[in-house]
Amino acid sequence: MVLLKKNIFALTVFLLFAVTGCRGNIPVYHISEDIDFSFYKKVAVLPLDNLTNDKYAGEIVRQVVISELLASGLVDVVLPGDVKSAFNNLGIKSVSSLNSNQIRALGKSLKVEALILGVVEEYGEAKMGNVSAPQVTISLMMADAGSGSIVWSITQTRGGASFWARHFGARHETISETVLMLVRESIRTLVEY
Amino acid sequence: MSKTEKRGKQRRLYRSLPVFCLLIFFISGCSNGMKQYVRPNFDFSAVRTVAVLPLENFTSDKYAGGKIRSKVIIELLSRGIDVIEPGEIIMTLRELKVRSIDSIRTEDIQEMGRMLDAEAVIKGSVEAFGISKGITVSYPEVSIDLTLIDTASGNIIWSVWHTSGGASFWTRHFGTEGMTLDNTSAKVVKEIFDTIY
Repeated sequence: MVLLKKNIFALTVFLLFAVTGCRGNIPVYHISEDIDFSFYKKVAVLPLDNLTNDKYAGEIVRQVVISELLASGLVDVVLPGDVKSAFNNLGIKSVSSLNSNQIRALGKSLKVEALILGVVEEYGEAKMGNVSAPQVTISLMMADAGSGSIVWSITQTRGGASFWARHFGARHETISETVLMLVRESIRTLVEY
Repeated sequence: MSKTEKRGKQRRLYRSLPVFCLLIFFISGCSNGMKQYVRPNFDFSAVRTVAVLPLENFTSDKYAGGKIRSKVIIELLSRGIDVIEPGEIIMTLRELKVRSIDSIRTEDIQEMGRMLDAEAVIKGSVEAFGISKGITVSYPEVSIDLTLIDTASGNIIWSVWHTSGGASFWTRHFGTEGMTLDNTSAKVVKEIFDTIY
């Protein structure tokens, strides 16, 4: 009887794990190993490409990136207005079509060592069965302003309702918290390097 | 039921209490901590007068920027910081030919400081302001970012991004009244300034 009870307990635990599922939240990132990141003292965060239906998604994520970069203590960040002014002066219209010459020119104009570029691929509610929960996917890149080459890049996604939120009414993240955690985790890969 | 059986039942109940508490704590969830940037070695007591620029609004509520800005001004005044009249700021922005807040440059901020006699400028944006729909209940959600810029050097001296919202454990499970949108925005602004003043 005791053995049966133990088995039932083990089976329940196993079932819970199976039902919960294990979502892969491992960031896909690349860091140039021959780069000394302590060299980067000041960066400019360029407007992010917005591939979502939310017209402000790019700007929202950009503000979080600026704030988290500053809070990490890694680098200083130039004001977005200075970036806009440099874009106008250099006649750059789109961020998605930047080439390495333009990256170098922007770096020189803004007096920064690196530029942060990126894309917001998903920003909104994702429906899973009969529940919906926030889901955000971003890609960030850091380009060296001297050479114009990419020295760090990361793609991350986060969101969805957890097993506990779906079945037991546990608290699930708001979309703002999802963005914050996503950006924080992305920048952590730089901090830990 | 005998006395020993009763005691045994009670004991089992007491034993299950910590598990129950842990479960409640787990289901309640916990919010994310606020991280901020403070420029090292900057003397914040030297900042006596601040100009609060109109906030950028990334929400569907077209008055969200104005609502949060007024809360920021009230919060600063309540903490003994002088705030420049919003009308004066609009006039200065016109004089400097700044068409939109997102295009304000470091040199504009330095010039503003001289014209308005302000030691610092607050610039920011509202990323979320509204009622969001959860799995079972709706809840207010407010997210703000604020940056304090020193007008003498043009450097960012303080920056913070903060969010509040989500339904509490009691609202989700027992239907108790949650915070209003106004309460949530006041809470966010207060918590932001608690970190610095």
